[in-house]
Amino acid sequence: MKTVFIAMTILMLLSFATDRLIGRWETKPSENGNVTGVVFKPDSSFEGYVNRKPFVSGKFVFHDSIFTFTDNGCDGKQGIYKIVFFSNGDSLRFVPINDSCAQRREGMSRLIMGRVK
Amino acid sequence: MKQYSIYGIAGIATVLIALSFTNIEPGNKAELGKLLFFDPILSKDKTISCASCHKPEFAFADTATVSKGVEGKRGTRNSPTAMNVMLRRPFFWDGRAKTLEEQALAPIENPVEMNLPLDSAIQRLQISRAYRDYFKRIFDSEPSKETVAAAIAAFERTLETSDSPFDKWKFYDDSNAVSATVKKGFEIFNGKGKCSKCHFGADFTQNDFRNIGLFNGKNLNDSGRIIVSGRKEDLGKFKTPSLRNVSVTGPYMHNGMFKTLKQVIDFYNEPEKAVSNSINRDSLLAKPFGLTLKEKNELEMFLFSLTDQKFVNTNAAKPVSFRKK
Repeated sequence: MKTVFIAMTILMLLSFATDRLIGRWETKPSENGNVTGVVFKPDSSFEGYVNRKPFVSGKFVFHDSIFTFTDNGCDGKQGIYKIVFFSNGDSLRFVPINDSCAQRREGMSRLIMGRVK
Repeated sequence: MKQYSIYGIAGIATVLIALSFTNIEPGNKAELGKLLFFDPILSKDKTISCASCHKPEFAFADTATVSKGVEGKRGTRNSPTAMNVMLRRPFFWDGRAKTLEEQALAPIENPVEMNLPLDSAIQRLQISRAYRDYFKRIFDSEPSKETVAAAIAAFERTLETSDSPFDKWKFYDDSNAVSATVKKGFEIFNGKGKCSKCHFGADFTQNDFRNIGLFNGKNLNDSGRIIVSGRKEDLGKFKTPSLRNVSVTGPYMHNGMFKTLKQVIDFYNEPEKAVSNSINRDSLLAKPFGLTLKEKNELEMFLFSLTDQKFVNTNAAKPVSFRKK
């Protein structure tokens, strides 16, 4: 009984953590008017886009602020980032922990996104 | 009563026809750019406009292998689509223009395209009362190289498309927007077909230069990027084009040598078979991909799913076997 309770609590915590991330997030328009966005889905997949044009698809795990993922770019290399939420959880940024894909690392480190309501 | 209705309809029709002939004055840079894009005034004999080779109905590309310029002259490279250029740079197959503004002026002077010295082109616009007024109102200056480039580039930046079945699937999460075949095709695009190694990004290009094996120094002797960069390793490299609306932008490759996407897929699957003596071909294409007929069809269907709603109902946007004869 105790084991079941602990397992359920862990599952609930995990689901709560992921819930913070689920949904659509976008940057403010850049100088050129470009908007980068990403949709994190409940099935642990995500879709990234620029100006409503999808450009990257992938799978992720989000646990204890750590976002681990692979996508269809970067030769399938895994990326690990810490997600820092701010403004009452309505904004986020990515802090690289481990990503050998230099181009992606550079792009993601620059991103500051707000939740699209 | 019936007579009044007839007069009414006739009146409305007259007004509508009159309106259709009214020259709508441009209100901003992009509208002025549109006017210039479609106006043959920028070519030597006033017969060719930008739109002659970048036809709106084919996603601003051309269906000819190589387009016809003034006096029927033909170049050596296929006209690429002028759409979805906002995120792109550099421009032209060999990347010789760093900005869209620089790109916009080049065809005017090119001897096999519009063949008009830029100074003469600007002079023509300065003589035109209408253009003088438009430039004064929009740029607060006379027509100049800078303002013409700015206007045409501004128009081209409006030619973005993001309403294809693929966009509906991925951006709007509508999994019914595409078939299971398209979804399989997307897997092949990212996997066995290796397409996404070069065609990755919002416009399905990384804007880099690759030698796909269409240079042999003999019958295929366009040396590509090396002309601009001077670097030996750029021999035979060309810019990776966008794949948005690719179903309507054929023929394909820098020289327009493939008429259909099927031919393109067959080529990538076994480049050696089509061009056995290529020089400096990219290592990605070193071995045949070994795609089955089914996989090739799935990949083709995926490419068709990149067609924007604007073009999806045109004959060109259908696989060859589905087209009306």
